[in-house]
Amino acid sequence: MHAALRAIEFHLPAATLSTSQLAAEFPEWTVAKIDAKTGIHCRHLASPQECSSDLAVTAAKKLFDSGACDPQDVDYVLLCTQSPDYFLPTTACLVQDRLGIPTSAGALDFNLGCSGFIYGLGLAEALVCSGQAKHILLLTAETYSKFLNPRDRSVRTIFGDAAAATLLSATDSTVPLLGPFVYGTDGSGGPNLMVPAGGMRYPRSQETALEKEDDQGNVRAANDLYMNGPEVFNFTLERVPDTVRRLLEKSALTLKEVDLFVFHQANSYMLDHLRKRLGIPPEKFVVAMGDCGNTVSSTIPIALKHVATSGRLAPGMSVMAIGFGVGYSWGATMVRYDQALV
Amino acid sequence: MSREEFLKQLDEMLELSPPTLQGPEKLDDYPLWDSTAIITFMALADEHSGSRLTPRQIAACQTVDDLLQLAKVEK
Repeated sequence: MHAALRAIEFHLPAATLSTSQLAAEFPEWTVAKIDAKTGIHCRHLASPQECSSDLAVTAAKKLFDSGACDPQDVDYVLLCTQSPDYFLPTTACLVQDRLGIPTSAGALDFNLGCSGFIYGLGLAEALVCSGQAKHILLLTAETYSKFLNPRDRSVRTIFGDAAAATLLSATDSTVPLLGPFVYGTDGSGGPNLMVPAGGMRYPRSQETALEKEDDQGNVRAANDLYMNGPEVFNFTLERVPDTVRRLLEKSALTLKEVDLFVFHQANSYMLDHLRKRLGIPPEKFVVAMGDCGNTVSSTIPIALKHVATSGRLAPGMSVMAIGFGVGYSWGATMVRYDQALV
Repeated sequence: MSREEFLKQLDEMLELSPPTLQGPEKLDDYPLWDSTAIITFMALADEHSGSRLTPRQIAACQTVDDLLQLAKVEK
């Protein structure tokens, strides 16, 4: 028995931040420059009262309303977030209750960023293969905007809030429809993309709220997200091409045999460089973040939903999906569609 | 990519009208030599010679010539 990807829905919060609004706030950066570097013209931001569980619940309700599945059928909830509602309880437990998923279902949170969706697919396949679950609701939900300092253009231009709900169900297929999987971890890169304060190591205090300006004019405090862009770019150049090679080798496929490539939608400049470096034709490479930004663990399911609704995804296709980022953490897999995605 | 073409790319990166940069210019004199420009330069070097440069190597550069040498752009 193997898991198959059956349906995806996503939710973007109502409030938006356009590139022209950002250009007005940071006059040294033009709309054209932000567009050229990020490929993002709009980001959606959660309201102060809106948390990851709220976004996840709305995305999941859309999935149930689409007829893909009934809440009563779900027997496992996997929720990926780095901006949970609380330290405890587990956000997945709160979501189980709000969605009316049976109390017999398993539910857990896992803390990963841009690689999270791939790890979620890996966990779902393992749960199905081992007979532990039949209908898994994989939720990815982030409200990174709450970590962003308003005066840090290096991150405000990139990140947006979102949640995605993905249904993975057991099939009688004798061949895997998800996999093989390739993973990677390098915790030495942790300091290059982090929120330093707020956990047990460095609790929030008056000191952690003190804002400082860096040598490029960006302002942030220890409570805020810090991203070392050049180091993160260096990491992707080092790891992503090698991960593609490892996955192709493990899948016994050539690059040409892959029908579609869905990479984590970090920013369009990085994606374009990786695409050229790997020799992937543009028509096989998905870029779908212009109207939502980098939504962390939700970028891949949002991009998959875009290609499904636009007719670029058809049954029988082999799709390579790769997530990479904070941690550092990365993962890649092949997704095979045995039937149309809802 | 020739030296002239590479310099043209660096001009565009720093929003200068080509041909402006010649080589001896000090990077600190250009306010747009920031993390975004460093990423752009890393991509250019990778595209030009397959050189994967670390931010630390780039931070050690003081002039445009230093960048060209790091990216293995022939004189």
